[in-house]
Amino acid sequence: MKILKNSILLVLLGFMTWMLFNLYKDYDSRDTLNDTARYYAEKGPDETGAANLVTSVVVTYRGLDTLGEVTILFLVSAIIGLLLKTENGTRKTAMRASSEFMITAAKLLIPMISLIGVYIFVNGHLTPGGGFQGGAILASTFILLLISISRNKIGHKVLELTEALSGLSFVLIGILGVILAAGFLDNKILGTGTFGSLLSAGAIPIIYSLIGLKVGAELSTIILELNQVQGKED
Amino acid sequence: MKYLGLEYITVIAGFLLLIVGLWGIISQKNIIKMIISFSIIDTSIHLLLVAIGFIRNRTAPIIDSSVDKLKAADQITDPLPQALVLTAIVIGIGITGLMLTYALKLYRQNKSLEINQYKSLKW
Amino acid sequence: MVNPIYIIAILLGSAFLIGLFQKKEKGLAGILSVLALAFAVFVSVSWFIHFTSGQQEVLQIFTGGARPPFAINLQMGLEESLFTMVINVLGLLGFIYLYRDFREEGIKGSVIFLVLMMAMNVLIMTRDIFNIFVFLEVASIATAGLLYLKKDFRSSAAGFKYLIAVGVISSFLLIGIGFFYLHSGTLNIDTYLQSNPTAVKGISMAIFLILIAIILELKPFPANGWALDVYQAAHPGISAMISSGTATASIYLLYKLLPLSSNDWTPYLIAIGLITFVGSNILGIAQKNGNRLLGYSSIGQIGFMLTILGLAPRLGEHFHFIFLSIFISHFLAKAGLFWISGIVQKQNIKEWSVLRKNSLLLFMFGFFILTLIGFPPFPSFYGKWQLIMELAQQRFFILIVAILAGSFFEGLYLFRWFGKVMKGEEEKENSLVIKWEKILPPVLFTIFAVIASYFLNNASEYGHSLNLIPIYFIILLFLLDFLPAWIKNSLVITAMVIYSVRLYPLIADDSLRLIFAGIFMLGGILTLFAGYSIKGKRAGFFPFAVMMYAGLMGLIEAENLFQFFFSWELMTLGSYILILRGKKSLIHAFNYMLFSLGGAYLIFIGIALSYFGHHSMDLNILSSSTMPGWSYSLLAIGFLTKTAALGLHIWLPGAHAEAESDVSPMVSGILLKGGVFGLILLFLLMGAEQSEQHTLLYVLGWLGALTALVGNLLAVFQEDAKRLLAYSSVGNLGYILFALAFMTNVGWLTALTYSINHFLFKTLLFLAIGGVVMRVKTHKMYEMGGLIKQMPWSFIAVLIGIITLAGIPPLAGYAGKWLFYNAVITKGWYFQGALVFFSGTIAFLYCFKLIYSIFLGQPKDKFRKVKEVPIWYIIPQAVLIIGIMIFSARPDLILKPLGNMLAQSNYFPTDPLSWENVTASTNLGYWSGYKIMLVIGVMFVILLLWLMLMSRKAQKIKQFNIVYAGERPFKPETTHFSHNMFSHYYKALGFLSLPLATGFWNGVNSVTHQVADSTRRIYTGNGQTYIIHILIYILIVYMLMF
Repeated sequence: MKILKNSILLVLLGFMTWMLFNLYKDYDSRDTLNDTARYYAEKGPDETGAANLVTSVVVTYRGLDTLGEVTILFLVSAIIGLLLKTENGTRKTAMRASSEFMITAAKLLIPMISLIGVYIFVNGHLTPGGGFQGGAILASTFILLLISISRNKIGHKVLELTEALSGLSFVLIGILGVILAAGFLDNKILGTGTFGSLLSAGAIPIIYSLIGLKVGAELSTIILELNQVQGKED
Repeated sequence: MKYLGLEYITVIAGFLLLIVGLWGIISQKNIIKMIISFSIIDTSIHLLLVAIGFIRNRTAPIIDSSVDKLKAADQITDPLPQALVLTAIVIGIGITGLMLTYALKLYRQNKSLEINQYKSLKW
Repeated sequence: MVNPIYIIAILLGSAFLIGLFQKKEKGLAGILSVLALAFAVFVSVSWFIHFTSGQQEVLQIFTGGARPPFAINLQMGLEESLFTMVINVLGLLGFIYLYRDFREEGIKGSVIFLVLMMAMNVLIMTRDIFNIFVFLEVASIATAGLLYLKKDFRSSAAGFKYLIAVGVISSFLLIGIGFFYLHSGTLNIDTYLQSNPTAVKGISMAIFLILIAIILELKPFPANGWALDVYQAAHPGISAMISSGTATASIYLLYKLLPLSSNDWTPYLIAIGLITFVGSNILGIAQKNGNRLLGYSSIGQIGFMLTILGLAPRLGEHFHFIFLSIFISHFLAKAGLFWISGIVQKQNIKEWSVLRKNSLLLFMFGFFILTLIGFPPFPSFYGKWQLIMELAQQRFFILIVAILAGSFFEGLYLFRWFGKVMKGEEEKENSLVIKWEKILPPVLFTIFAVIASYFLNNASEYGHSLNLIPIYFIILLFLLDFLPAWIKNSLVITAMVIYSVRLYPLIADDSLRLIFAGIFMLGGILTLFAGYSIKGKRAGFFPFAVMMYAGLMGLIEAENLFQFFFSWELMTLGSYILILRGKKSLIHAFNYMLFSLGGAYLIFIGIALSYFGHHSMDLNILSSSTMPGWSYSLLAIGFLTKTAALGLHIWLPGAHAEAESDVSPMVSGILLKGGVFGLILLFLLMGAEQSEQHTLLYVLGWLGALTALVGNLLAVFQEDAKRLLAYSSVGNLGYILFALAFMTNVGWLTALTYSINHFLFKTLLFLAIGGVVMRVKTHKMYEMGGLIKQMPWSFIAVLIGIITLAGIPPLAGYAGKWLFYNAVITKGWYFQGALVFFSGTIAFLYCFKLIYSIFLGQPKDKFRKVKEVPIWYIIPQAVLIIGIMIFSARPDLILKPLGNMLAQSNYFPTDPLSWENVTASTNLGYWSGYKIMLVIGVMFVILLLWLMLMSRKAQKIKQFNIVYAGERPFKPETTHFSHNMFSHYYKALGFLSLPLATGFWNGVNSVTHQVADSTRRIYTGNGQTYIIHILIYILIVYMLMF
């Protein structure tokens, strides 16, 4: 029976491979940029003022996608809260206390890691990285915080507040784009500044900072929610 | 036979990982393993997207000292797929997180992580 | 105008803002959500008004400060404004519906809801493919999240299966998008379309992956187990959002993305859609869980819409109308039904009978069910009609059959459900908990559906030719349902009198129509009189009675086939509900509906086949059908379901016998003539010249003769008085069919005489017997007996009735018989004629049984004190008796103009009756009703006098003035003479009355159920199986396409 089932799966995957191979057959490596990418390369730096073209695409040209992305994280953190809350009212963590090494190392590392996170999203328009990467790093400090020093100092409320306020500001900046510039999420509501400097590229650094904070807060919330449930497990 | 450059290897690897992921999803009974398989599928797609934006002998789409701003179009790879990958990764994280939450919930309610234990809704 | 981008900004902004709120501010959160959703409604409605009031220019909304294709753009045009409008209205009402649940389960729920609404708005407006992917994911995650409202682990399991399935589907979507970008260099739909895309293999495959992913999001059968589980597990308020909201957005997405493909998706979409439509609906038959059943129906309807989408290139200018009609019905009805499900809170559809506790809910439930099935005047009727006609015009006959088969299956389970709600076992619980916010959304959707019907009627090709006054009157009656029955009865009778007066001059020249109009209207008024005897409100009776009569009158008035079919369906619907009102008529009404539905669809196909090659819907196109064999046969079978021809008769006895006392005469004496009128219309228009028609008529002749025989024979063996009359109707309708099939002047006169007679005596008998049954509270004849003393009037009425029925001179039945012999001899169908003659003799047996068992013999103790039937039963009986007398004495009053008309209007010019005053003659002989009446009258008087003279010395004996010789039997009623009265005949002829037809249809029924039950086992409940289904589905479509 099992052999039969496995061979059916095998045949199925075989056909799947064949279908994907047909997709692969028509794949050819590219040697030029297509019109869309060429536009980003040629007009992007001047239009948005961002040196990191990926950032200009992510934050400005495809800003609506990014808004959706941020929304997804927001949604997921909200849903996880609801799903796990409806099940048990009381939340208690029952982890054993951290060791001295852990605490000392964490005290040393947390400010530095946070700084790197902030650096990455503030400089998102200039160097590789951006809000999501920076936010993820921020969240990693939160994990560290969670497993070492304190489990309850940075409470839910602060995270929720950061999450909601940064999200709200993101939307408001988007709306400012409609009012002051050429459309929703247009970054030129501020001057584009000197190309390559920190305070350039219009609203991009602000948006990316907001995204960084938001992503950090959201990932932290998710971790916190899951951790609290795990803590109750014996 | 095509010249086997990095991009081809990436595309092939992407497809292979996709198959592996699909295999895992349809054959592994354990919910956590299914979720891992889903992550493998996700990763395979990210590889494909990156390969799609890749152009040989070019540099990252960031205008810095190595890229001439005026000739950028001839020196950089396609920034768009990279932006797409970024978005796709975040979405993947969201879905994976939600799946794990459901897995957690199922486990807490039924003390089982076998997918074929959850067949009370059918027909 | 407000920029539509604000819909997104406000919805999302509110969602983020609510994230700030604490638990105690949940009231504020609710208000904010309602305001945000109302704002979205406002914006989309204002754009919809903007576009419908003549503005053409589509608004492009740019984002990111650049033009497409470099940045994402949204679009707001007529279509977008329409779809965002319906979705936002649904969202607002759906939120209000869920408001209390969100309050109780935490304010974050409203956050998820707002984000879901935002995502659907973006999905409809965006023109960027990757953006579609992002917001599809947002919508899926939000949907999976909203499952939290139900806390049982089944909903968690459903949520996980859903996420895995959607995850796999969207992976394929994303691969497709990636390769699309690789080959085309853009992500923008419009840019790609403008670039004159050529069919590169690579890109066509990428587009294939995109489209198949969207199609899979639409849950095609059988790769949809994950969706069904969600429908079943989710809170009904969420299921409403998925079924009406998400599905709407997805189908619009598909519509938007289809032009990308250079492959012809037409056949695939049609196939996918039809397989889904038919498959889902078959599986629905075996389903007992209400929410899952709605899920099946939902998926079926979406499949139907997919088919229409696939047909879009073929439907041309009609596409939008057809699609909208089907779409809006599904949208409103499905959301409404899910909402009602949330109020009922029952799993098994049997338990839904609790709806009877609340008449508003019951009404809405019925309303939405009928909207789904597509009865007129509900919105989807118009689209379905137009679709079938367009398909016929393009010779897609198989598609027509498949669509109507799917609709039939859907009708089957929906009507079964409806019946269970209306008549199923009473629920013990005392009341439903109804909160205002739960009842408001379905009420509004009901109103929207009425408005939609109005607009669709106006927009449909033939809608303006309909006479909507009866419909308005029916709506008025629904609104006046709180009044006492006698007021409503008077109102209806007045309306029917006014209507008849108005109608008379229009059809005065057409004796044929005049006769049937007379039967319908006069019969209607007379039978309604009996209703005065009922006290109280008689809630829900009058609208449907009027609906039936309006349908019948519509048949008469119909100038085109659209009107005819519209009226036919109206009549069916009204009569179904009337029959369903009987105490034990659940299963009988269901059978009636199934046969009627099947018959109606056959008529539908028949009309469509006749329409092929024509450009008008005029009735006359029937006379020049290009496929005479098929179209006439289908039409004839369709009409025969209503006249209960042999094999299609099994619904009739139960339906007529178990109906209320005054409904039985309506559905027997009057409603059956609707089918006869259909046949007459068909025969007149098709003529008898071609060989196909000859064959058809010959077969129908035989069918009529056999129906007469079996119907009468079965009547003989009945113990139930009303059932006896019902079987007798089957037999009588057999005579009529037989005589019509002659297609000669005298043959038709025979048929019409029979029709008039049957109307007169069957209405009379059912009123009289119905009255008796009402008094003695039993249908069994052997439990009655000796009632002549208590009910002398009923006795006389039944006596007159059976004399007419049996064709004994001098009453009108004899006229029919005389004409019949003439017709048979002229036509030369001797053998069939002999059969019919034989069955006429059988009629004597049951006529005797009827009058003897009920009125003569020994009276029963318990009925010693019963009273005569109410005066309201006697009045119509008196009128009918007068009618019988007049028709018997002066048949020329009706038959002469009728014969003239048949002769003059080139229908049947040869061998007419010739009239000399009141004497009719043919080549074979002559007959005068008047003289016969005189002769028999004189004989009767002489005999009566003689009898009285002889019995002067007779002694009256009391009932118990006898000596008992034996012991008292164990079951005294079995010794009654009329118990099993004709058992000796049964030994001889019983084999003819074996329930062969019933057995056949039961077999069909059980096979269908078994197929449904075994097929639905593909949904094993295992999440992995569902993924395997999805993969196989993709592969199969891929292999077929490339």
